[in-house]
Amino acid sequence: MWKSYLTSAFRSFKNNRGFAAINILGLALGLTAFLLIIFYVSDELSYDRFNTKADRIYRVNEDLKFGNNEVFYAVSMAPLAQALKEDFPEVENAVRLKNAWSARIKKGDVTIRENKLAFADPSLFQVFTLPMIEGNAVTALKEPNTVVLTESTARKYFNSTQVLGRTLLFDDHLNYKVTGVIRDLPKTSHFNFDFFLSMSSLEESRENKWLRSNFSTYVLLKEGADVKQFEGALNGFLQRHSGAEVQAELKMTYSSFEKSGNYFRLNLIPLKDIHLKSNRTGELGPNSTVQYVYIFSAIAFFILLIACVNFMNLATARSANRAKEVGVRKVLGSSRSYLIAQFLTESILVTFMAAVLAFGAALFLLPLFNQLSGKEMAVSAQSFIWLLPLFIGLVLLIGVSAGAYPAFFLSAFQPIQVLKGKLSTGFKASGLRNFLVVFQFSISIFLIIGTLVIYKQLNYIRTKNLGYNRDQVVIVQNSYELNDQAKLFKQEVKRLPGVLNATLTGYLPTSNWHNTAMFYKDASLDSKRSLFPETWGVDEDYIDALGMTMASGRSFSKDMLTDSSGIIINESAAKFLDLKEPLNKTLFKSNGGERTESNTKAYHIIGVVKDFNFSSLRDNIGPVVLFLDANNGALSIRVKTTDLKKVMAQIEQTWKSISPNVPISVSFMDQDFDATYRSEQRIGRLFILFTTLAISIACLGLFGLAAFAAEQRSKEIGIRKILGASVPVIVRMLSVDFLKLVVLAIVIASPLAWFLMYKWLQDFAYRVQIQWWIIAIAGIAALLIAFLTISFQSVKAALSNPVKSLRSE
Amino acid sequence: MIKITDLEKFYRTEEVETIALNKLSMEINTGEFVAIMGPSGCGKSTLLNILGMLDDPDGGSYMFNGAEIAHFTERKRANLRKHNLGFVFQSFNLIDELTVFENVELPLIYTKVPAKERLSRVEAVLEKMQIMHRRNHYPQQLSGGQQQRVAIARAVVNNPKLILADEPTGNLDSSNGNDVMELLTDLNEQGTTIIMVTHSEHDARYSHRIIRLLDGQTVLENILI
Ligand SMILES: Nc1ncnc2c1ncn2[C@@H]1O[C@H](COP(=O)(O)OP(=O)(O)OP(=O)(O)O)[C@@H](O)[C@H]1O
Ligand SMILES: [Mg+2]
Repeated sequence: MWKSYLTSAFRSFKNNRGFAAINILGLALGLTAFLLIIFYVSDELSYDRFNTKADRIYRVNEDLKFGNNEVFYAVSMAPLAQALKEDFPEVENAVRLKNAWSARIKKGDVTIRENKLAFADPSLFQVFTLPMIEGNAVTALKEPNTVVLTESTARKYFNSTQVLGRTLLFDDHLNYKVTGVIRDLPKTSHFNFDFFLSMSSLEESRENKWLRSNFSTYVLLKEGADVKQFEGALNGFLQRHSGAEVQAELKMTYSSFEKSGNYFRLNLIPLKDIHLKSNRTGELGPNSTVQYVYIFSAIAFFILLIACVNFMNLATARSANRAKEVGVRKVLGSSRSYLIAQFLTESILVTFMAAVLAFGAALFLLPLFNQLSGKEMAVSAQSFIWLLPLFIGLVLLIGVSAGAYPAFFLSAFQPIQVLKGKLSTGFKASGLRNFLVVFQFSISIFLIIGTLVIYKQLNYIRTKNLGYNRDQVVIVQNSYELNDQAKLFKQEVKRLPGVLNATLTGYLPTSNWHNTAMFYKDASLDSKRSLFPETWGVDEDYIDALGMTMASGRSFSKDMLTDSSGIIINESAAKFLDLKEPLNKTLFKSNGGERTESNTKAYHIIGVVKDFNFSSLRDNIGPVVLFLDANNGALSIRVKTTDLKKVMAQIEQTWKSISPNVPISVSFMDQDFDATYRSEQRIGRLFILFTTLAISIACLGLFGLAAFAAEQRSKEIGIRKILGASVPVIVRMLSVDFLKLVVLAIVIASPLAWFLMYKWLQDFAYRVQIQWWIIAIAGIAALLIAFLTISFQSVKAALSNPVKSLRSE
Repeated sequence: MIKITDLEKFYRTEEVETIALNKLSMEINTGEFVAIMGPSGCGKSTLLNILGMLDDPDGGSYMFNGAEIAHFTERKRANLRKHNLGFVFQSFNLIDELTVFENVELPLIYTKVPAKERLSRVEAVLEKMQIMHRRNHYPQQLSGGQQQRVAIARAVVNNPKLILADEPTGNLDSSNGNDVMELLTDLNEQGTTIIMVTHSEHDARYSHRIIRLLDGQTVLENILI
């Protein structure tokens, strides 16, 4: 029996090669896209799950509201981890991590700049699953100036992993002893470092300060611990520990602090949620957004749906051609269930072939897809544990669901009617098919609109006037290594031809440097009239070198000695402070410690700088206060030249003349900026890819349907031609029916797409409008694509010789 | 009206070459009613298709009202066809999705006759074919004889100068067949030239002249009047 199903299924393919090809190809294309997205989504969802205790690990976050400012930190205080361990029996362990940003490390004669370093407590290896291949996991990070390397870093520096006891020279003066080698961190870790330095090397880690947050703190709870209860107890805990400091610093009790509408709280985020759901200040690395996981899952589902719809459509369209076969089979005594089995076999067979193709293609395309998506996904023997069931499941699900309708539809034909030719109506009573075409194109149009809006928004971000000019700015990232000579370096660089200006400070709109301080409108330091801005120490060239514009007032000046107590605020700060005429107003800042009036410093506002963007464009611009300070974190050089290479060489030459041994480290401001949005750019590219795929699949289906329509109507076309219909008339007649469906799809999809994209855009503080022409473009594009697809078939049919089509009847 | 000389038509399939028309010559005058007869496969339909400008001859000449058609472009032929010719087929070839009225109206739409005039002309011809009461039916709901009447109505609605009929009675019983022949005779008497392919000696007797074909050549001509 099975053999007979299979042979007749194979014959049916052979006789309808074209349609079988469209069917298999369309489905394979859809499945490939589906699989790639599944890989992507499952990779996103798998973050940090390699940790065997992942379910019990939480990061402690800090929320702060003071005056008008609300801040959400991913970092917390130095003494927090230890105090949690001591105060809560349910805390099994805790570990702190602190980004060490960057260091120069000596390897033989060369120095290498490393950017993936972190300080960590020794408990790191008890909380996270970072298997150690050399060294003792318990003691490895106990001593000051010890370091644990990843396997590939050990090989990079020593060509070996047996390197216990060897030393690495950091920044020419610090020796770190290697006390352990761990496996490389999985890509799916929300933090990714090559060097773990012992926390005890860091003086700051021993400070008992509760109003300073610089450490990522992770707790490992005991099995069965009540997380809710633990999290609930955190605020009482914080009050106990920080009350005294709040009192001293802010001159008020903790409760009056809270009563005046402020808060200072701790909360927990499960380790497994960090990658997708955390976007706070001070993350250890860029995280992703769960939104994209949802969006891509939806796209995967829709693409698969479009492909299945094609399959069903083509199968039912073919029903007319197969009606005769069914009639004859039935007359010969075939039962209905035999016919159903026959059609289902066919459909499962097609799905199987498509799935084999799709799995092959997905594996083949994975490296390319990795490049596009910036991931490092790989398929290993282990992946087959879930791939194989997925494969079988997909084949059966799609095969049966896509084959079911034609199977039941066809097998229900009454043989007499069919043989009498009354059921040549295969293409006519096709409400379902029309519905499916509308459905497919609605999705396609939706995706086109979505892609256009996303693309436009991303483009907007890239080209938006940020309030500063990031073009042609060279940043010397390690000017701090020149110490006192950094200023000299700046002066020499400014003198170079092609250099317009330069500013010496680490606080840049594109850098990770953050510093906040409290400013008050009154000398009494009333927190109700306070501001908690980014407080950046800059030099007098800052505004000009970065191409910022003053809204009012003036920039810092070398010649004004009083500028040491002058500040420039941004427009947002002026708004927060509710200052209509901010110029020459005074703001007060505590010097720390005793909060007496003599212990405060007064600053007068000498200028207001136009708002410039310094964090994600998703967020509103926060308040910023600039003051004059000698900060040599980085030197940003504005150049104006057609020969950038030459200027760069001269800058390097200048550097070498001052510091011959330390290599210079430079970047470009526009590239630094782009890096911030790299993941979003990638998402944009993926969108375009999948939208193109979805539309191609839908068109493939339409192509098949149009072919069927033309075939089924060939007699009618013949008659009409004999009666005088011209080719354009026939083409129009054949196309209009389909185009009507596409128009209907536009009407359905556009408002929906508009609404959802509008929602998506709300996440951005700076966003584009969805103009009507985006929807018009999407609609016209869909119509055009559909028309081209259909007209190929229509023109072919219209040009055919009418005598031939009438003969075949 | 029609003059063909040494008309040739070949069909090439993979191996065999069929000579459907072999240097066929004939002349048909305006107002004539000609029957073409011959055994199956002798080339009658092929000839009719060429005369109806639906197909190209492979050789020879075809003069229609003094113009050489053999070299006309598809477009020119289509134009000539829709204003001058009407077709009637053995299998009626009505469009199933259209009503009787719409089927008959079709040629008028393609010759861009205004809607108002179309209505009166279609109604007139349906009246004449005594099928008016079925104007809103679909072809599937009519008997074979009724369908052929609709087909004839459609063929004549544009007042063609020539009607080409390929076995118009082939699918009908003798009484319906006689009705169709009466209709054609009427049309002929009103001045329409008719060329009809038939297998029936009985039907052929309605014509003025019978041309008998064999293997694509004229073998015999009977003048009946
Ligand atoms: N498209 C075609 N391809 C190949 N051969 C063809 C084609 N059309 C017709 N023929 C051949 O040309 C010859 C003439 O065919 P035609 O249809 O004109 O015959 P006919 O006289 O109309 O026959 P019947 O009385 O059965 O309708 C036949 O031998 C036929 O097989
Ligand atoms: Mg014939």
